[in-house]
Amino acid sequence: MSGDGLPWQQVEVVHLQGLHPVGRRPGLREYVAQLWARRHFVVADSRARVASGTRQMILGNAWLVLKPVLDGLVYFAIFGLILKSGRGIDNFVGYLLIGVFMFQFTARCLSVGASSVSGGRTLIRSFLFPRAALPVAAVLRETLSMVPVVVSMLVLVVVVPPHAEVTWRWLLFPGVFTLQLVFNAGIALLAARLVARVRDLSNLIGFFTRFWLYGSGVFFSFDSFVSDPTVLAVVKLNPMYVVLDMTRDVLLYGRTPEAGSWVVLASWALGALLLGFVFFWRGEETYGRE
Amino acid sequence: MDGSRPFWEKDVTVAVANVHMHYRVPSTRAAPGGRAAGVGRAVRKVVGSQPKVLVRALAGVSLAAYRGESIGIIGTNGSGKSTLLRVIAGLERPSRGEVVAETSPVLLGVNAALVPDLSGEQNVRLGCLAMGLSPERTEEVLPDVVDLAGIGDAVYLPMRTYSSGMGARLRFAIAAAANPRILLIDEALSTGDAAFKERSERRMDELRANAGTVFIVNHAAQVIEEMCTRAIWLDRGRVVLDGPAEETARRYRLWAWKVSKGEQDAADTLLKETIAESSPSSVKFAATAQRGSPVRHARRH
Repeated sequence: MSGDGLPWQQVEVVHLQGLHPVGRRPGLREYVAQLWARRHFVVADSRARVASGTRQMILGNAWLVLKPVLDGLVYFAIFGLILKSGRGIDNFVGYLLIGVFMFQFTARCLSVGASSVSGGRTLIRSFLFPRAALPVAAVLRETLSMVPVVVSMLVLVVVVPPHAEVTWRWLLFPGVFTLQLVFNAGIALLAARLVARVRDLSNLIGFFTRFWLYGSGVFFSFDSFVSDPTVLAVVKLNPMYVVLDMTRDVLLYGRTPEAGSWVVLASWALGALLLGFVFFWRGEETYGRE
Repeated sequence: MDGSRPFWEKDVTVAVANVHMHYRVPSTRAAPGGRAAGVGRAVRKVVGSQPKVLVRALAGVSLAAYRGESIGIIGTNGSGKSTLLRVIAGLERPSRGEVVAETSPVLLGVNAALVPDLSGEQNVRLGCLAMGLSPERTEEVLPDVVDLAGIGDAVYLPMRTYSSGMGARLRFAIAAAANPRILLIDEALSTGDAAFKERSERRMDELRANAGTVFIVNHAAQVIEEMCTRAIWLDRGRVVLDGPAEETARRYRLWAWKVSKGEQDAADTLLKETIAESSPSSVKFAATAQRGSPVRHARRH
């Protein structure tokens, strides 16, 4: 620093007492505290935008439910009626409904999380707040939109023949859902920083999601197509496969998911959240750049 | 606030020490060396990207701002005024150097609508919460904000329908709502009409009276002269002159007049003389423990 002061320059000495560095990334603990302090902002941001996505459409919020139902119909027509991939699957309609609705949750969290930072640039450039508030708000927004979707899914599963039976295991569903939500938050944070850094990746996310869709057994069962036990074991480590499998066990088949599935899903969820959060936090100073 | 500080020392609210800001931005200027870069150019054509050049937006800016000061930053377009504000606000991290502040500065920028699809009212709520106000406090200040903005029933319409002046007024009102100790204003006031100008000036006086510091960026020297106690003239990312608002504004106006007359040489000479005379100060940070050591306390004004 001493080299900066030219001989004829005045040097103003500023005592650092009571002054804090500006625009520096705080420690992880402090960052979490700041994020918690802005929780009202997160809630307000997500609630304000839940409806605004469909406001300009005639059917408005009904699309939240209609879209997955239509998606489900497409898959039902192709895989259920034409390819008959549903052979050997009990209650294929319910199987498909849960697959499409619950996979959609993760896919949407990934895509809105990825665009949250690049799309929230005006907020970032106007106000100083922990930037993780944006992807977190995006996930919260998707979770709020998911409420009517889940309700209609539960109703459909019971109403549409062959009717699923409501057992005490339905009580386990919130547990599975929460783990899925935690996992979603993790990948949203991860994707948010990646896309903020390299905009090109937003194009790859849709591609990756489709690949993931086919690899998660949304509209067919791997058991009837894959015979190699190693491949099957790898497939069954896929977090989305585990989520869908557990949700179907709980809601459709009246089975309690194995302890192994819980462990796999919980590790994915916590691992993704930890990795995503730390990864996002490390980029905190970069999000304001053009 | 800081009782242990000797009485002859004024309270520093913001200090900027030797801040540099570099950007790598795409440039459409043809690269020198023409054909030699054949392969690189072919790749660029496919990808559609342009060669990047290094832009130095700030080249070693130092300043210390004190409580109760209202500091104007003047300079031509592209002199680094807005970049300096964004760095002070902590929205961008400088390539070199450091900024310290007493509390989080609040920047009032010129960028378009905050969230275009939400109504002005919703944007006020969102903005207040983003600055860290509690929900109760937000509801408390909401009428004041709407009142200060003075855009009538338009406050219930989506912000994308606003004119630039209306947007700027709403943003000023939001930023002022937090009652920030350090407020940074980026040319927002020049868009308002006469009635709003008067109201916003009154609000700014209040903020300053609250023992705060206000920074105002504007390329009109007159605005700076009217509203500020001190002015900093920036040119190509460097401080040319830092002193009382009137004197700095007068110098700047003389220079701008010479430039507009096409007397580029005379203007350049004036610029060099001003830099040499003013000997812009550098800022050093001292840890509190070294308080007793005999350092030169440069006094300003």
